[in-house]
Formats: sequence, C-alpha cells, structure tokens
Amino acid sequence: MSAALDDVTVLDLTQSFSSALSAAFLADFGGNVIRLELSAQERDARQVDGSWDHEADLIHRNKKSVVIDPQQDRGRALLAELAAKADVIITDWMKPDLQALGLDYATVCAGNPGIVYGRASAFGPEGPDADRPFIDELAAARTGAMPTLQQPGEPPVYTGAGAMHTSVLLAFGVVTALVHRQGSGEGQEVDTSYFAANMYGASLDLQAFLAIDEGQRERLMHPISRLDVSNPISGSLYPSSDGRWVTLTMPDTDRWWPLLAPAVGIDVDDERFNSHEKRCEINRHELIHELEAGFQKHPGSHWRTLFSEKQMSADVIEQFDYPAQDPQVAANKYIMELDHPSFGKVNSLGFPIFMSDSPARLKSLAPCAGQHTASVLHEVLGYSEDEIYQLTTEGVVV
Amino acid sequence: MAKALKGIRVIDFTVWFQGPVSAQYLADFGAEVIKVENPKGGDQGRGVRSMKALPIGDWNQYFLVINRNKKSIAIDLKKPEGQEILYRMVEKSDVFLSNLSPALLEKMNLSYEKLSAINPKLVYATNTGYGRFGGVSKPSFDMTVQALTGAMARLGEPGQPPIYMGMGSGDAYGGIMSAMGIAMAIYQRNKTGRGQCLDASLYGAQLYLAAPYLQAFLAGNSQSALQHSRKEVENALWNLYPTAGKWVYICEENTDERFAAFCKALGEDALATDERFATAQGRLENNIALIAAIDTITATQADTELLSALEANDIVHSPVNSYADVVKDEQAWQNNYFMKAYCEEVKREVEIRGLPVTLSKTPGEVNTLGPQLGQDTELLMMDLLEYEWDQIEEFKAKGAIP
Repeated sequence: MSAALDDVTVLDLTQSFSSALSAAFLADFGGNVIRLELSAQERDARQVDGSWDHEADLIHRNKKSVVIDPQQDRGRALLAELAAKADVIITDWMKPDLQALGLDYATVCAGNPGIVYGRASAFGPEGPDADRPFIDELAAARTGAMPTLQQPGEPPVYTGAGAMHTSVLLAFGVVTALVHRQGSGEGQEVDTSYFAANMYGASLDLQAFLAIDEGQRERLMHPISRLDVSNPISGSLYPSSDGRWVTLTMPDTDRWWPLLAPAVGIDVDDERFNSHEKRCEINRHELIHELEAGFQKHPGSHWRTLFSEKQMSADVIEQFDYPAQDPQVAANKYIMELDHPSFGKVNSLGFPIFMSDSPARLKSLAPCAGQHTASVLHEVLGYSEDEIYQLTTEGVVV
Repeated sequence: MAKALKGIRVIDFTVWFQGPVSAQYLADFGAEVIKVENPKGGDQGRGVRSMKALPIGDWNQYFLVINRNKKSIAIDLKKPEGQEILYRMVEKSDVFLSNLSPALLEKMNLSYEKLSAINPKLVYATNTGYGRFGGVSKPSFDMTVQALTGAMARLGEPGQPPIYMGMGSGDAYGGIMSAMGIAMAIYQRNKTGRGQCLDASLYGAQLYLAAPYLQAFLAGNSQSALQHSRKEVENALWNLYPTAGKWVYICEENTDERFAAFCKALGEDALATDERFATAQGRLENNIALIAAIDTITATQADTELLSALEANDIVHSPVNSYADVVKDEQAWQNNYFMKAYCEEVKREVEIRGLPVTLSKTPGEVNTLGPQLGQDTELLMMDLLEYEWDQIEEFKAKGAIP
C-alpha cells in the first residue's frame, strides 16, 4: 500500500469549512498538508467548551499545524521559505490579504514556478464580483435554483450543497494540475468558486433553461407543487402513515406500473391509469390523489421493505440517524468509528472515494495549533534545533 | 493551448448522468475520452428530451453537454468479437470508467481482475449506487439515494415536505468526486507504473453534500437532522427576507455596527431604537421578534428599492435570483461558467454550461459537443486499434460493430 499524494507538500491557507475540506481530501490520500495558522484570533476560535471538536477532526484531519507570526519580518520570511518549498497552496483568502503577506500567486510563482496554486473565491477570478466576500449564500442566491426547490408559497431554500461541491472541484483541479506538472514541470493557478459550484449543482435545470425558448421558461423558474408533478411516480413525494416521506424515481411508468400499482392498492388494469399517457397526462391529478391516499395506508418501514423486495427505484426519506446506523455506510467507510484520545469511540464522516492500492486513511486527528511547527521547520526548511529555539523565544513561531 | 490530461486515454463505458459527468471533466482538460456504446441506441441518456414534462430545447442538450469533447465507438459487447475489440482498447488506454453495476461488469467479462490482467497500468473506476462493499445493489437514482442520506429531511420549513436539492444535484456531485479519484489514481500511476481499482458511489458522495450538518449530528447534535424555520434563525442579520418581488439574502455578523447600518438601509428608526434589539445578546434572545419585525418592513418594499438601500449602506447581501437572471449574469459569462459551442444537430451556436474549475496555463476547453452514436468507430478501429480494413469488414459482418 502506498499513498497517491505522498510526494506532495501542501500549504493550507484556508478559513472556510469547504476549502479546509479540500485540503483534507489531499491529506487523506497522503498529501503532506501543512496548515498555516497565522492569526491568534483564528486559533482562539477553537472549541473551548470541552466538547468534541467534530468539525476540526473532519476538516483538519491528517494535517500538520504550524503557527507563525506574520506581523514580524522574520515570520513573513519563513512564510516565503515555506511557499518556496511547497508543491501546492490551497487558499480561500481575499487577494489583498494574500498580497500583504507575499503569498499571492505572482509572488510565490516568482520563486517557485512549479507551484500549483488552488484558490476558491465566491464568484470567480474575473468579472465585477471577483472581490466579493467568500460566502456561499451570496453565490447560491445568484444561481437561480433557490426559488425553485421549495413547495409553492414557501420561502426559497439554501442547501449548502454548493460549498461542498466547491471542495471537490478545487481538489480535482489541483490534482489535475499536479498531473500536468508531472510531465511538464509547470505549475499554474487553479480557480473555482461557490458561484460555479452552485451552478453545477443545479446543472440539469440550468442547462435546460439555457436551451429552451423564452416562452417555455416560466415553468422551470418556479417551484412545482408535489401534488402537481408532471409524472406522479417520478420525482414525487408522498407521506406514509408514520409521517415519513416516500419518494419514487420511475420515469418509465410502463415498466414500473405493474409492480407499483398492486403495492398501493390500485388495480394494474384500472382503466384510468392503464397507459403512460393516462398516468402522466389525462388522469395525472387523479393518480396523484390515489397515491397520496395509498401511501398513507402503511408506515415507512412497510414501504422500505416492499421497495427492497421488488427492487423498485424508490425509497423512504430518512434523517441522519439512518446513514449513521446503516451497515452499508460502515462497510464502505463513508462514516467510520474512531478512537478519540479524549472522547473515546465517536463516529465521524469517512472517505467518499475507495482506492484499492492507495486508499484514504486516518493517520491523525486535527492537530493542536503549532503542534508541528518545530518538525516542519526542521524537515521542510532544514532549521536546526537551536535556530528553532531562537525563533520560538523571539515569538516568531509558536 | 497545452492540455493538463493530454495523452490520457479514457474508456467511458457510462450511461445517464453521474458517469458521463465524471468523464466530461477529464475530457474538458484534454484527456482522449472514448465513449463505448451499444450500437442499438447507445447511452440511454441520448433519449432524454424532456424534463418535468417540458421539452428542453430543439437540440439534445442533456446528452450533448455532458458528453462534450468525447468520441464514440459503437461495439456490441455481447459478441465475443466485440469483447476482443474492447480488450484491445484496454491495452491502449489509461482509464476504464463505468457506472454499470460491478455484478453486470463481471458478467460481461469486464471485471477489474480481467481488465487489469490485460493492462496492469489501467486505472479502473466505477460509480456504484451504494459502494463496492456491503452487498446492497438495488437501483439507484439521484433522488432515491439523496433520500437516504438525511440531507433532504433537514431542509424546508418545519412541517413541509423534505427538499430535493435539484435535478441531478447528487449525480453532478458524484461525478466530480469520481473525477477527483481518477485524477489521483493517474498521478499515482505515473509514479509507480501500476493502476488500481477505485469507486465513487452516489451514496458515498451524497453523504458529503450535507457534511457540516451530518458531522454535527454524528457528534451528538440531534437538532442538525431536523428542519428549521427561517423565522427562528439565531442571527437575524444572516437570513432570507421577502420583498414585494424577489427574496433577499442578508449575510452580516450580529454586531451593533452592522445592525445600525442594516436599520439605516431599512429606513426604519423604530427598529434601531427598539430596546429589545439594542445589543447583540438582545438580538439573539429576541430573534423571532426581530425577524418578524424585519419581515414586516421588507415584505411590502419593492426589491429594487431595498437592494439599492442595502448597497448604499454596504450591507453584504444578494437578491435571490431566478434562472432568467443567471443566464444573463455577466459574472458567469466572464468566468466561462457559461460558454457557447457549435451544435451540429441544429447547425448553430448554442449556450452551454462551461468550466466550473479553470487552470490558468492548461485551461479546459469545449471543442465539440457530444458525439453521434458510433461516429468514430471506423477511425478508431484503424488508427488506434490498428485493424486492417478486411478485419473491420469481418467485425461488421459478425455484427460486432455497425
């Protein structure tokens, strides 16, 4: 077993959950990810109430932590030395803040042309909104999907999915640039944004919207009531008797109707519903009404068993307790139990990608601030023990 | 222009959405992606011409956009001669990607063991529904998987139905997750000379769509699994507000200074002088009353009026735009999040989703939209697979290729 990225040194200069997670993905697969903690304020924000810092142990797992004081000239010089040795920088800082510390792409690249410089922004590197604050809600609101997700009359919905999409886009872009560098030695800038990610999350509706005539666009711009879906057995939601919701994805109604109809107490040959056209057009509302009544006859557990037995493309909508206890999730390490030194056995999000030869692994939980300052200065920059002692007493590093 | 994944050849044996999106990312960055399709109809995604009962344009945008920059070879893999062709492709390729079930791939003699024996350098990638381990292999679609993760159940106002995050939202996410895994496996392969097997499932990816909330739940915060009302959010200054037109998202910290600026933008002295809201603590304790008060003010305002007042007072905000707004959004066009491409089918330029991640020296490109079924079969048979013409005729006679 080896690790895919074990020859890659990454500087993690991130503030948000999503960008820190990008760097964690690289660390999970062996990247030597060094989290630079520069402001005392940021370090103090850590959980102090004594409970498990579950967020840090997800987004900073497998990383090292280095604390440097950027207010001192010597501190800034150390940052430059680290940047010169790094293969990758991952950041979500605003450009002026990066420039102030000499960690912007132009400066780093001048001394280290092989650097792969990944940056996530709110709205992308170009255009009038390039400098807007790094807030996913602002980008999600601009994307067009928010006012379409809810039931009619309800407020628009912020899902947070765009931020998670950004994490993976950034990590993908960085690794792709590393592949390019393997062959060419050439580094470059990698850019993604919350805006782009939210647009890709809404990709089907948005692409459809681009392609259709103005006159047809109205239907895609507004929420559609669950009692008015165009296909009563695809993309629809029905409550079961215990209040849990059932969802069906059966676009090809001819294929599924003979299985579904008896399950919900409708005669397969019922003349109102015995063709796709009748089910999805002529008697669509009547069918929705019948299904609404049919699914309420039994609890969610009944429907789950039935869908599973008949291999139907349908399921019961669950809360987080379901994946937390699902053996399928555990078998694939999507959620894993870990032995926390302070809190004992806890469950934490695991690894979304399986690789047979270079699997993701948990080597360490989130580091304490400055835990690796001395070892990184020694191993990456070659400082001696005395020099490190000197820097520590002068307060340049912690 | 240089291409980051130039020289990487990908066998794209995928259908519908998640798999094709994964390969699309590789193709956008210069990999030679060859779609392997059944000669009878090909990828089922070719048939998707409507959504929500709405015809979606006069060109086949669902298929053509996610299969852009790709070639297509039509092979009947049920025939031994068809298999022979695919095996020769495997010899000459770097990546094999499929979102058919591992059981079906095994039955078709396309298992990892089989293909890696032919080419040990091969990166063999699957997109399963529920993961390689654990035994679950029921049909998986975006929404039925999203249902299981708990991500839907926490969205929406209390008492309202759960919220689906949008057509294909989880597929798109599974697709980029898969592409990231493949890029890592290529990087590793370039160092070691060995390929490997990898999987990015819909379920595994989608559990991350709500990662901050799921992780909090795992740590014991049971509230994070539940729906929460926007009328009760802790910080009223970070919330959605209705106007007579569009909703508006306000994203401000709960400080006295930002609250004062916000009140000024609302033009409401009563709010600014209300003692309940005078301190950060007061605003947290009286959040429901504060949100209700703000609602009352904004609900009757024209969105344009509120937006310009927010702008004038430097309040961090955004209108909640519609698709009609985003397709005209200059910011999206300038960053190549939307692009234009020539569409053979309708013989004109069409507007497409562009590149959500860009590389400065090896930017992605869109050179062609999706291929016609089997359009590159003969050329690939000759140039890549180096069959003689009479051998090709023989394959045709046996029905292995059309």
